[in-house]
Amino acid sequence: MWATNAKIVGIVLGTLALYTLIANKIPQVQSEVPQALTLGANVTPEQLVAAGEKVYTGIGGCTTCHGLGERAPNLLTDEKGQGTIGARCGKREPGKTCKQYLYESLDNPTAYVVSGYQPIMPVMTKQLSPAQVWSVIAFLESQGGTVDVTASDIPTTSPASPTSPTSPGGGGGAGGAAFAGGSTDPKAIIQAAGCLACHKLDGQGQVIAPDLTHVGSRRDAESIRRKILDPASSVTKGYEKLAGIMPKSFGTMMSAAQLEALVQYLAAHK
Amino acid sequence: MSSPLRPAIRRYAEHPFWQAVGILLLAYIVVVGVVPILPGSAIVPKSVVLQYMITVLVGVLIYVSDNEERWRQFKEPIQAVLVEPRLKVVRAVVVAGVTALVGLVAYGQVKTTVAAPPNLRSIHPAPPAEITFRGKTITLTGLENPLRRYPDSLPSYLAEGKRVYYQNCLPCHGDHLDGQGHFAPGFNPLPANFQDNGTIAQLTESFVFWRVAKGGPGLPREGTPWNSAMPVWEDFLTEREIWSVILFLYEQTGWTPRTWEKSVSGEK
Amino acid sequence: MTDPLLLLQAAADTSRAYGEFPVIGARAFVWITAEVHLMFAAFVLGVPMFAVVTEAIGIFGGDERYDRLSKEFTRLLLVAYSATAIWGAMLVFGLSTLYPRFWAYLTTIFAPSMWLYAALFFVESFTLYLYYYGWDRWKKGRAKLGHWTLGILLNVWGTIVMFIANAWLTYMMSPPRDITPTTDPTTIKLWHAIANATWMPINVHRVIANVVFGGAIVGAYASYRFLAARTEEERAHYDWMGYVGNFIAMSALIVLPFAGYWLGREIYQYDQSMGITMMGGFMSWLWVIQAFLIAVLFLTGNYYLWIGMGRIPGAERFRPYTKYLLIVLVLGAIVWGTPHTMIADSKELAAMGGSHHPFLGALGVMSAKNTAVNLMILTTFLSFLLYRRANTRPVVPWARAGTIIQGAMFAVAAGVVLFYGIRGYFVEAIVRIGFSVYQVLAVLSCIVFVTVIDILMARGAQSLGAIRWGRMPPRSQYALFILAVTFTWLMGLMGFARSGIRQYWHVWQVMQDTSKYAATPALGYASKMISLCVLIFLSLVAFVFWLGGLAEKSTFVATAEGEKGARHVGH
Repeated sequence: MWATNAKIVGIVLGTLALYTLIANKIPQVQSEVPQALTLGANVTPEQLVAAGEKVYTGIGGCTTCHGLGERAPNLLTDEKGQGTIGARCGKREPGKTCKQYLYESLDNPTAYVVSGYQPIMPVMTKQLSPAQVWSVIAFLESQGGTVDVTASDIPTTSPASPTSPTSPGGGGGAGGAAFAGGSTDPKAIIQAAGCLACHKLDGQGQVIAPDLTHVGSRRDAESIRRKILDPASSVTKGYEKLAGIMPKSFGTMMSAAQLEALVQYLAAHK
Repeated sequence: MSSPLRPAIRRYAEHPFWQAVGILLLAYIVVVGVVPILPGSAIVPKSVVLQYMITVLVGVLIYVSDNEERWRQFKEPIQAVLVEPRLKVVRAVVVAGVTALVGLVAYGQVKTTVAAPPNLRSIHPAPPAEITFRGKTITLTGLENPLRRYPDSLPSYLAEGKRVYYQNCLPCHGDHLDGQGHFAPGFNPLPANFQDNGTIAQLTESFVFWRVAKGGPGLPREGTPWNSAMPVWEDFLTEREIWSVILFLYEQTGWTPRTWEKSVSGEK
Repeated sequence: MTDPLLLLQAAADTSRAYGEFPVIGARAFVWITAEVHLMFAAFVLGVPMFAVVTEAIGIFGGDERYDRLSKEFTRLLLVAYSATAIWGAMLVFGLSTLYPRFWAYLTTIFAPSMWLYAALFFVESFTLYLYYYGWDRWKKGRAKLGHWTLGILLNVWGTIVMFIANAWLTYMMSPPRDITPTTDPTTIKLWHAIANATWMPINVHRVIANVVFGGAIVGAYASYRFLAARTEEERAHYDWMGYVGNFIAMSALIVLPFAGYWLGREIYQYDQSMGITMMGGFMSWLWVIQAFLIAVLFLTGNYYLWIGMGRIPGAERFRPYTKYLLIVLVLGAIVWGTPHTMIADSKELAAMGGSHHPFLGALGVMSAKNTAVNLMILTTFLSFLLYRRANTRPVVPWARAGTIIQGAMFAVAAGVVLFYGIRGYFVEAIVRIGFSVYQVLAVLSCIVFVTVIDILMARGAQSLGAIRWGRMPPRSQYALFILAVTFTWLMGLMGFARSGIRQYWHVWQVMQDTSKYAATPALGYASKMISLCVLIFLSLVAFVFWLGGLAEKSTFVATAEGEKGARHVGH
């Protein structure tokens, strides 16, 4: 009888072992929890740096200009013998610590522009959540300096929201290829297309690109239309160095009615 | 000369043990030798060969043991090899052979190679319910190609899709849309073959949109360990360009996109 | 994923939301207790179902053996019942101490149903005691019918209890769409939460699966007693019992895929991305393992039948054909197991031009797999038919015509399955999904009609000699063990699939799992947990059966063994 018992146990264990073996033999995939952007009260500097690196290389779009050596200073590599950003950030502006300087660069980029570069950097605090901004700062500090960003720097009141700099004008119907759900309200179009990220209009917006407040006196409707459809067609005097910055895709993102509404609206700004 | 041989051959052919050996050999030859030379076929991966052979082995074992008489006959040669003095040489060879085989298998398992280990990634991981496309939220669930709503303009959309394809997709996905572009051999995973019935033919257009817009970096973790080199096309193409190129892919390959459940229950 | 939700979760984290269990961790503890509890529960729900059926066969068919069999089934229940309760209590304590926030949420919604659950459990236990201990008391006439009614009641209570518990877990999977993370749980109507999208499919699926599972465990029990038997007669009795257990398990198994299909469909309709996670996402490899296990079930089940033909006089007429059935089954298993996305190294990938094999890839898609599994079901049914007919020769005048019609039905069903299988390659996905319904219908109607004809044809059939129960080689009994282990493991695996597709949610898209165990583990880890659960369960079951043997002699009573023609079950 013991032989039979042993055989039964052997068969049971053998079958279990076989199934377990097969399931372990195939390469293993674990379903991870997606990384939420909420950085809790006890977030470690390492977590911040890791999150910041993702923002820097990903959603922040920093690498579009930084690191190419022309449009903006190198951050992760040496810049004109001054070392990486973490090493030089504290010495840029007198009286500002590294952390303060970096926050200022993101929050008000035109306040201090490194000589030899144009003031073309957008206001990142408008595009990124506070958690993202502070994690980027932590990441930059980690590049040759010491990380002193803590959870207390991140304002807890505003939630970490996915970046949506251009969407508040009304998300648009799913799949609709037009801004602002096809609305022909020029203000909604300007809002949705993000024109003010570079241009100034009626006292709002940035000064990277020409002020549009009196654009109607410089250009007629035809010229404005052509400029939107083909930004390279003409360049406003004084902005030659920034030629090519304006996206060429606005024409394909608007309906004809929207384009006309926008053109007429701008042409009326004399 | 052949007459005395025949009965011997027949004895072997009717003996369960040699039948079992024969079936296993035959199966191996078919899987490894015949399947790859069929038209349009290719070598069978080792993992699949192993799987097939195990299945056949189980079948063979069932065959030889589901009948008392056959089971007894099957065991005869095995027992003979193990105990009979006259088969001393055979026994020695078998023992040595089995030992060597186990050694070889163990060696093959632990030996280091330069080749990447077999990869297992989900080719079609679950898409998110919605994505953010250039700051705009797009709900993927239930979404169909918005360009299809304008049947009159389809030719122009197709023309645009074709232009987009040849400007951007050609180097990897190839002239025939079969994943055999010039750059293709350099990638792991290989670029998708749209002609294959397992890629876009199985997917909704919204899934394809997601893959084009977010590219390799947008793949969830189950798409690892070798993330695809597909660029994040939302950085380079507009929403309409992506939709038109999707239109072009389906038009050119002749597949129809997978449709959503609801639309069908509505039709029927 | 809305942001207020994340904030809410983050806030909840600061309070005590999760406990920790020493050494193995909270998740593993809940996993093991839930799984073992579920296995026992499935056993104590499945066995009464056929205890009642076999008792009825005994009452209305007048065959004493079935009544004794039924009683022996029920005896197995008694101890298993308390084991179920113990593991259930461990699960509840585990949940309330290790996942207090989640548990509080569930109790807020489901409290009244939990009280009802406890009450019904109480009633069910006492019905079981009455049923078992009253067996010999109410043995004759009307009392016997009353006793049988007790058995039916036992099943009714058990089924309701299971339905209630199913409501809780299906709510976790598919909470009604209007419930969001911000919904106050006190405002959720109880019935609204119970009647969620996957509740009924799970109920049906589990009822059938319980029968399968109960049958398999009873089969294993019988095979153990068979191997341990000292007399010929005892061996004959347990051989027969093992056959009945296996018969029940296999017949219920044939309908199980259809219930599973319904469940899968509801999941897809409830949430497409959940469905894709299940079938095509990180869980897609689970189905290859499942295919392997089911192939084992089919092959082992048929193997047992074919060996069993050795004890039936007259079966030698059919034996030459079993090898063709075997060929179909093996080919079916090969097709069914062929993965669509193959594991291959870079060289093989380059040769194949991707992870899909240009030729074999065609076998990896749904059309091929449905065709394979339907043909395997048909083959298994044919095995049963041959087995049933093995020791009889029909005497009705239309016997020949009947056999031809049966053969034609098989041919038609196989033809329909093949036709839609091949046609499926040429139509779009949404139509293809509909085809599987036609295939299933063809197979099911073939099974029903052929069985009806067979029953009619067997009337007064001439016997070719009694089945020599007990004349089975031991390896057939080991096959029953493999069946039981495989069923149990498969149950654990499917449980992992059902529970795992929620991924990092306690309640799908309502309450997020923010514990350190939120990630859904890979298949390798899961398989170890499943094996462990199966081992715990089987060891306990062995102990329970051993106890049963200590307390009482076997219900086996020496009788004129194999009375006249020894009819099989299923008549």
